[in-house]
Amino acid sequence: MSQLAVAEQDSAAAMARLAPIRQSVITLTGITKSFGPTLANAGIDLSVAAGGVIGLVGGNGAGKSTLMRILCGAMWPTLGSISFAGEELDFTDYGTGEAQRRGIRMVHQELSLCANLSVAENFFLETPGDAASRPGWRALYRARAREALDAVFPGNAIDADAEVGHLSIAERQMVEIARAAATPGVKLIVLDEPTSSLDLDRSKQLRAFIRERAQAGLAFIFISHKLQEIIDIATEIVVLRNGRTAWQGHVADASIGKLVQLMGGDANPVHQHAVAAASAQDVLVRLSGALTADLGHDINIVRGEIVGLAGLEGSGQKELLHAIFRPDRKQSAAVTRHAQASFIAGDRQKEGVFPLWSVLGNISIGALARRPALSLVSDRANRDTAAGAASKLRLDERRFGSNITELSGGNQQKALVARALVADTPIILLDDPTRGVDIATKQDFYRLCNEIARGGRALVWQTTEDAELLACDRVLVFAGGRIVRELSGAAITESAVVGASFTQPADGLAGAGHKDAAAAGLGRKLVNAAPFISLAAVLAVMISANPAVASIFGLDLLLMPALSLVLVTAAQMFIVGGSEIDLGVGAFAGLVSVLSATLLYDQPWLGALALVAALAAYAGLGGVVQARKIPAIVVTLGASFIWVGLGYALQPTPGGASPEWLSALFSWSLGMVPTSVILIAAVALIVFIIDRLPLGVVLRGFGNNPVAMIRSGWSPTRYALVRYLIAGLFAGAAGLSLTAINTASDINSGNSFTLLSVAAVVMGGCSLLGGVISPVGAIAGAVTLSLIGALLGTLSVSSDFNAATQGLILIALLTLRSLTADRRSEQ
Amino acid sequence: MNALTAFSLWAQRNRWIWAAIGVLLLWLVLSIVTNRFSLSSLSGIILSASFLTIVGIGQMFVVTTGRGNIDLSVASVITLSAFVALLTIKGQDANLAIGVAAAILLGLAVGALNSLLVVGLGIPAIIATLATGYVLATATLLSNRAISGFTVSPALKYLASGRISGVPIMAVIAILGVAATSFVLRYTVFGQLLSAVGQNRTAARLAAIRNGPVIASAFIISSVLASLDGLLLGAYIGGAFLEMGQPYLLQSIAAVVLGGTLIFGGAATAVGTLFASILLILIVTTMQIIGLPPGAQDIVQGIVVIFVLALAGRQAMTRRAPIEPARGADDDALPAGDRPA
Repeated sequence: MSQLAVAEQDSAAAMARLAPIRQSVITLTGITKSFGPTLANAGIDLSVAAGGVIGLVGGNGAGKSTLMRILCGAMWPTLGSISFAGEELDFTDYGTGEAQRRGIRMVHQELSLCANLSVAENFFLETPGDAASRPGWRALYRARAREALDAVFPGNAIDADAEVGHLSIAERQMVEIARAAATPGVKLIVLDEPTSSLDLDRSKQLRAFIRERAQAGLAFIFISHKLQEIIDIATEIVVLRNGRTAWQGHVADASIGKLVQLMGGDANPVHQHAVAAASAQDVLVRLSGALTADLGHDINIVRGEIVGLAGLEGSGQKELLHAIFRPDRKQSAAVTRHAQASFIAGDRQKEGVFPLWSVLGNISIGALARRPALSLVSDRANRDTAAGAASKLRLDERRFGSNITELSGGNQQKALVARALVADTPIILLDDPTRGVDIATKQDFYRLCNEIARGGRALVWQTTEDAELLACDRVLVFAGGRIVRELSGAAITESAVVGASFTQPADGLAGAGHKDAAAAGLGRKLVNAAPFISLAAVLAVMISANPAVASIFGLDLLLMPALSLVLVTAAQMFIVGGSEIDLGVGAFAGLVSVLSATLLYDQPWLGALALVAALAAYAGLGGVVQARKIPAIVVTLGASFIWVGLGYALQPTPGGASPEWLSALFSWSLGMVPTSVILIAAVALIVFIIDRLPLGVVLRGFGNNPVAMIRSGWSPTRYALVRYLIAGLFAGAAGLSLTAINTASDINSGNSFTLLSVAAVVMGGCSLLGGVISPVGAIAGAVTLSLIGALLGTLSVSSDFNAATQGLILIALLTLRSLTADRRSEQ
Repeated sequence: MNALTAFSLWAQRNRWIWAAIGVLLLWLVLSIVTNRFSLSSLSGIILSASFLTIVGIGQMFVVTTGRGNIDLSVASVITLSAFVALLTIKGQDANLAIGVAAAILLGLAVGALNSLLVVGLGIPAIIATLATGYVLATATLLSNRAISGFTVSPALKYLASGRISGVPIMAVIAILGVAATSFVLRYTVFGQLLSAVGQNRTAARLAAIRNGPVIASAFIISSVLASLDGLLLGAYIGGAFLEMGQPYLLQSIAAVVLGGTLIFGGAATAVGTLFASILLILIVTTMQIIGLPPGAQDIVQGIVVIFVLALAGRQAMTRRAPIEPARGADDDALPAGDRPA
C-alpha cells in the first residue's frame, strides 16, 4: 500500500509539473468504475495536453481498456468527472457520438473497417458529413484517403478504390490509422496496439508522423505492450496496475526495466533456456520440398526443442503452422508429421475458447476430441486429467467451475495450454500465443514452454514479437512463403531475424498462386455470368419452340408475372445485404395484395392507412430483430404466419378486385418495348441507385461489420429500420403488382416467392454473409426462375417437376459458386 | 429474495424450466376457466405433441451446430415419408419392416444430401435444405400420383394412436427419445463435440475436432427423425396429403427455441424441446377451443414465436452480461458484439 501511496504522490507531482505547460484537451478526474465487487478503475486521473503523447502501459486487467472506453464514451464510470479544455461535462450527456464530435478518435486493436467497402468508402463512414447524395461524392473521399495515407505512411501503395478485404492486415491497420488521423477537427487520437501488425519501417513512419502531428498540437494516447516503442514515442507515461495509476511521469524518468517492474513483471530477459539435448533420431515433423528449397536441406523438428517461426507478417508462418496441424493435399509433400499435434491459438476469442463452457470443459475437450464419438464422458475423469495439467501451469483448480470468459487473458491462455497438455500430443503448435498477454504472464509462459519442451515434446512457435524468438532453440525465418534462413542457439538475435526477414526468396511461391487465382477468377466470372447465360438459354429454348414468344405481346405475357418475383427479390436482396434472410417476404407481398384488392378497393382511405400500417409493422420487425439481437430467419418465419393470418382474416377465399388506377399502372404500353421489360429494368435501376447512394454504402457496411459501424457512430437500430423499410416498399410494390396483374388477390399468391427470392438473390451473386448487392444478376436470376414453369410447359414436362428444377438449379449454381469461391474471403 | 436469485441462477442453466412452467400455467388456467380440461384431454395434447417433439429433437441437433443452421427440409421429408410409407406398406403389417426401412433410408438419403451440400460444398444450411425441400416437393407430387389407396397398416396405426392404460404409445416413444437424446448430449463425447462445434467452429477445428462429421451427423439425425415421424404421422391421420408436413416447419423451430436451446448454437436441451412442443400444441388447441378462425390462430402462433424469441434474446444478453464486468478491464477477450451501448 505504501508503495502505491508513494506512486500516487509521484504522479500528482508529475501532473503539477506538466499541467501548466500546455492547455489540456481532455481531463478525467477520479475515475472509478466498479463491476460488482471488482474495481476496474479506482480513482484514476488522466489529463491529456495538446501536443502530448501519453504512453499508456499496464498488464492485462490493469484497467487500460476500461479507462479508454470511458474516455471514448463507450462506457460510463461509477464515479469521476470529465472535462474538455476546462469545461466540465456531465457523463449522462457523454457518449460515443459526443466523443467524436469533440474530436476524439480511437484506433482499436481489432480493426474496425468494413472489408466489403473500398478504402475511400471506409473514409466516408468515419466522416459522413461532407457527402451529398449526388453522383461523384466518392471522388472527395478518394482524394482524402489518398492524402491521408501518404501523410502517415509515405510510399505505401494502397489503392483508395481497393476493397479493404483484399488488403493485407498491415495495410488495413495503416488505413485505419490514416483514417483516424485524417478526421477533420480531431484533437486526440487513441492508438490501441497500433503497431501489432506493422513491420519496423511502417512502425517508424507512424512514430515519425505522431511526432510531427504532436508538434502541431494534436494529442495522442499510445497503448502498446512494446515498451521500447513507448519509450521512443511518448512524452509522458502512465502505468496502470490493478485499476490504479502505479506511476505517471515524464519519459526521461522511465526505462524499460522500471516500467516492467511497475507493471508487476520481473525484468529478467526472456533468454533462459539451455540448449536442448535433443535426440536427433526422434523426428516429429519433417519439412522439405519447395518450402525449404532456399536452405538447400530439409528441416527435422525433433522432440524436446522449441522451434520459432519468424518473418514479416503473412510470409507463410501461419500457413506452415496450419499445414503441420492438418496437412492438406497441396502441402502434404512439403510437410510430413509423424505424431499427433495440438494447437494453441493466440486469438483466444475467435480461435480458442468455447464461451458457453466452464474452464474445465474448455480444458477437457482437448482429450475428448481425440476419443471415439460414442464413448462416454465422466466429469470426474475429466477433472482428474485436467487437474494434472493445471497444477503444472499454476492454474487454480478452484476456477474450474467458472465460465471461461470470466478469466483474464493470461489465465485463458493457461487454460488453452492445459487443453493441449491433456490432449497429450508430442507436438504443440503455438500461434502467437502471448498476444494481448501482459509481461509478467509472458515470463511465466516462456518458463512453462521450456518445461514442456524438456518433457519431451516439440513446440513450434509462430510469433509476431521478435524478442520472443530468443526463447527458441531454433528459428526458421520466412520470406515470400518459404523458409529463407535457419538460425540456432547464439545466432538467434533480433537483428539477425529482421535481416533475414527481408531476404527475397529465389523464386517466390507467389507465381503459382497467381495462376491459381487467375483460374479461379475465370471460374468466378463464369459463375457470375450464370444467371444471364441461363436466362438467355431459357429464352432461346422457348423462342425456338414457339417463335411467337419473341413478339412484344409474347414477351409481356411471359415476363409480366415475373415482375412480382423481381420486386420480391429486390426486397430480399436488401435483407440479405444485411446478412439476414426474410422468410416472410412472400407472405407480406400476399398480404399487401389482399389489402389492395379488398380494403383499398372498397375504402381507399382506410386501405391506404392499412398499407402504411403494414409497412410500419414490417419495418418494425427489422427494429425488433436488431434491438433484441435475435435471428431474423426465425422472426420472419414467425411473421409470415402473422401476415398469412391477417390475410385469411380479411379474405378467407381468393377474390377482391384491383383498383382501376393500380391496373393502369401496370398496363400501359410504349409499343416498341414490352412494358414488363421496362418495369423490370426500372426496378434494377432503382436498386442500383439506392446501392450507390451513401445510404447504400452504410447499409452494406452494416451487412459486413456492424461493430465497426457502431464505433463510427452509426445507429444500428435506425439502419435496421431503414433496411426493412426499403425491403418493405419493394415487397409492397410486389403485392400491388400481384393484384394488378391477377386483377384479384389471394393470400397464398406470394408464398412461393419467399424461397424463390432467396434463390434468385444467391444466383445473382449476393453473399449470404451480407454486404453485397448485385441488382442486375439477382433480377436476371429472378426472371429465369419464374420462367421455369413456362419452360417446362414448352418442353411438355409435367409441372410437378417445377419445384425440383428450381431446386436443382439452385444447388447447381451454389455448387459452382462454392467450387470457384475465394476461400480467403470466406474465412 | 435469496431463493429467487438461486432459482434464477438455476434457471439460467436449466432453461427448459420456462417451457415447463408455461405448460403448467396454461393448463391450470384452462382447467379453471373451462371445465372441459381433464387429464385425458391433456393426454390427447401430449399425443399430438409427441409428433412435434420427434421432429423438434432432430431440428435441435441442427440448430445446435451453430451459425444459424436450420433444417428447412423437415416439412418436405415428413410429407414424402408419409407417401412413401403408403407406397411401401400398402396397409399390410407384413410390409411394415420394408416401410420402416424405406423411411430410414429416405431420412439417411436426404440427410446425406443436406450434409454434402452444407459440409462438403459449404452452402449455407438454410439455402441447402431449402433446395433439398424443392426437390423433395416434386418427389412428393410424383408419389402422390402413384398412390393406389389410403390404407394404413393396423400395427402402425396402433403404434401411432394407441394407448396403454390411457398413456399414448407415441408419448412413450417421444419421452424415450428425449431421454436418449439427453443422455447423448450430456454423457457422450459426441454431445460435447456437438456443443463445441456450435460454440466456436474455428476453436473446435483447432482443438482437433473434425467438424464435418459432427455437423453431418446432426443433419442426418434430423432427416431420419423427420422421416420416421412422417411414417407415424401418416399412420395417425390415416393416410397422407400434400403439405401435411408444412406446420412442422415453424413449429419445430419454435419448439427448439422455446425449449431453451440457443438459436446461435452450442447448447441444447431435449427436455425443453419436449415441454415446448406440449406448450405449442396446448396453445393451438386452446385457440381451437375458443373458436378462433384459422387466420387468427396463425397470427397468434406467429406472435408467440416472435415474443418468445424477443424474450430469449434478452435472456441470452443478460446471461452474457456478467462476463463483461468480471473481465471488463481486459479487452482482448470481449466478444465483439457484446459491447455496452
